[in-house]
Amino acid sequence: MATKPTPRKTRRAAVLGGNRIPFARANGAYAKASNQDMLTATLDGLVARYGLAGERLGEVVAGAVLKHSRDFNLTRETVLGSRLDPTTPAYDVQQACGTGLEAAILVANKVALGQIEVGIAGGVDSASDAPIAVSEGLRHTLLAANRAKTVAQRAKALAGLRPGDLLPSIPQNVEPRTGLSMGQHMAITAERWGITREAQDELAAASHQHLAAAYERGFYDDLVTPYLDVTRDNNLRADSTVEKLAKLKPVFGKGEHATMTAGNSTPLTDGASAVLIASEEWSREHHLTPLAWLVDAETAAVDYVHGDEGLLMAPAYAVPRLLARNGLALQDFDFYEIHEAFAATVLTTLKAWEDPAFCRDRLGLAGALGAIDPAKLNVNGSSLAAGHPFAATGGRILASLAKGLHENGGGRGLISICAAGGQGVVAILEA
Amino acid sequence: MTRETALSAVPDLRRFYATAAFHRGNASDTVPDERVTLTGVRVDLADLADYSRLCGFSLTGILPLTYPQLLGFPLQMAVMAGEGFPLPLIGAVHVENVVTVHRPLQADDRLDLVVHAQNLRPHRRGRQVDLVTEVSVKGEPAWHGVSTYLARGAEHPEAPTSPAPPLDGDETSTGPAVGPVWRLGENLGRSYAAVSGDWNPIHVHALTARPLGFSSAIAHGMYTYARAVAALAPRLPDAGVTSRVWFRKPVRLPSTVRLRSCVSPGRTLSRLESVDAEVEHAIIEQVW
Repeated sequence: MATKPTPRKTRRAAVLGGNRIPFARANGAYAKASNQDMLTATLDGLVARYGLAGERLGEVVAGAVLKHSRDFNLTRETVLGSRLDPTTPAYDVQQACGTGLEAAILVANKVALGQIEVGIAGGVDSASDAPIAVSEGLRHTLLAANRAKTVAQRAKALAGLRPGDLLPSIPQNVEPRTGLSMGQHMAITAERWGITREAQDELAAASHQHLAAAYERGFYDDLVTPYLDVTRDNNLRADSTVEKLAKLKPVFGKGEHATMTAGNSTPLTDGASAVLIASEEWSREHHLTPLAWLVDAETAAVDYVHGDEGLLMAPAYAVPRLLARNGLALQDFDFYEIHEAFAATVLTTLKAWEDPAFCRDRLGLAGALGAIDPAKLNVNGSSLAAGHPFAATGGRILASLAKGLHENGGGRGLISICAAGGQGVVAILEA
Repeated sequence: MTRETALSAVPDLRRFYATAAFHRGNASDTVPDERVTLTGVRVDLADLADYSRLCGFSLTGILPLTYPQLLGFPLQMAVMAGEGFPLPLIGAVHVENVVTVHRPLQADDRLDLVVHAQNLRPHRRGRQVDLVTEVSVKGEPAWHGVSTYLARGAEHPEAPTSPAPPLDGDETSTGPAVGPVWRLGENLGRSYAAVSGDWNPIHVHALTARPLGFSSAIAHGMYTYARAVAALAPRLPDAGVTSRVWFRKPVRLPSTVRLRSCVSPGRTLSRLESVDAEVEHAIIEQVW
């Protein structure tokens, strides 16, 4: 009789560190850099920092939101162009702005299950080197011409071309099902929750001030590698104040309720990030100190199309499920990293958790999750200051929070990232 | 005494080609004792991006091993167009190139370049000379390149040759051919000229190459070499590398070529060949 294999226990996955290139506003410093260029530079920076040259890792997982069709195997191609052993497997994921964190969850889960010992999770996006496709009309015409077997058939197919078909198709930052941009969606939610212009500008100013202070004290020295003459995120305005931000004109929403400006919304940004995740054993063998442990994660999605939930509200749903599974209260954290897609996103999420009716009716809780200590929120700056290259944001937050927890001598941190398509990815780190 | 010519800007290569007919060379058996310098060179990031894209390098912020060659090339031309230079400017063929990288060059480093000629010597099919390019950053030597050019002329069958290392039989010369395959288009010479500034007519178009004895335009040697270096770059360290190429038969445009390599610790050895393996275009050896 065959012996039954012993069920394997799961184990902890450590965040050992991260690397990213400074984030740069679109159509500026990185205008000519491709996603593969930026991801390769970021990966090689991480490889150099942790002595991984020539090493075969369990896997590299990364993705991009704005992606050329030629980049179908972006991460594997990047690995082949990196200093890692070319026998390191890799794959792409895409979950809009949740891509980077989702990639880290996938790597951490494989580590936890003992399927791999070490992996790298990352993300990259270029809003500058964006893919431009041919129009649907031209695409159908070309495909028909390609299928044609005779010259006459081909001529007939090509004759179907209309002048308008020659206009290219440029990617747009809109939800396919609603035709609204993310900012327009957010403006509706912000108005519904009565989020003020002042509160948004305060959060934006704090983001810039926190990020600038973190750079000043050298916090990012081992998290960021200069790239193409850029040494710091170039969206950062260290002298940003509520007064300066108050002068900007609203860009989303209409009339007196229009509160969202270019200052309290993230700009289109280019950049890449990567995070090294490993088992405790591998970390020890390689003399690397775990900064924090990726304890658990949750994703959620909302019906923003026909339902009446806001596009970026999914993290509000994901967090209570994650808390319940881990027996934690919202206040049991030392740091909160709530991705600043817009200042209003953070404020709406916090307000929703403080609202007993929302928590009862929508989240199915007995009462409100309650307020958090604002001094623990995005303490080293977030996307409003750093910028937001969609898939790279998760890796930026994960590495920064892990380092923050380690510096703190321990503690617990919560990450919350909203994503297009009405999705949210959240996770808990502990050190 | 060495004559120092300090340039204040990168010379325009088109001027050299326009006046090339006047630089016919002479019978002198030494090269003029001259050094051409250009200091504080800053790499244009847009140019670097275009070069990297064309040659297959990742834009990582570290200069590709072959890039300083491109920066030094106008200085080489200035030396070869100088008074009393024994070889003619047009028709000289790039036969070998050796690059040693002492330290990685960052895209934002300020580079000081010095070029001089040396070692004029006989070649089986004429005479050859070395153009030495030295790149330093803040006085620290960073990059050293030796380009060997051949001017066809009186033959010297007894001249010593510089043999390429033998290809390890099993891996590169027999069995099914495996390696990157590249389609090099008819317009490649113009594309590379646009990023390198090297508008030598033999590369630009069949019509401009024909008067110089080529039936079609031929690829820039430094392009095919760079392409090979780019393909192997992830396997090499950023510094402490010596990379050497022996150019064999020119790559006629358009054509399809393959790079076959043996990669071992501390060394790559590659052959760039036509896709049917009939024509050997270049041998590339890199050691570190």
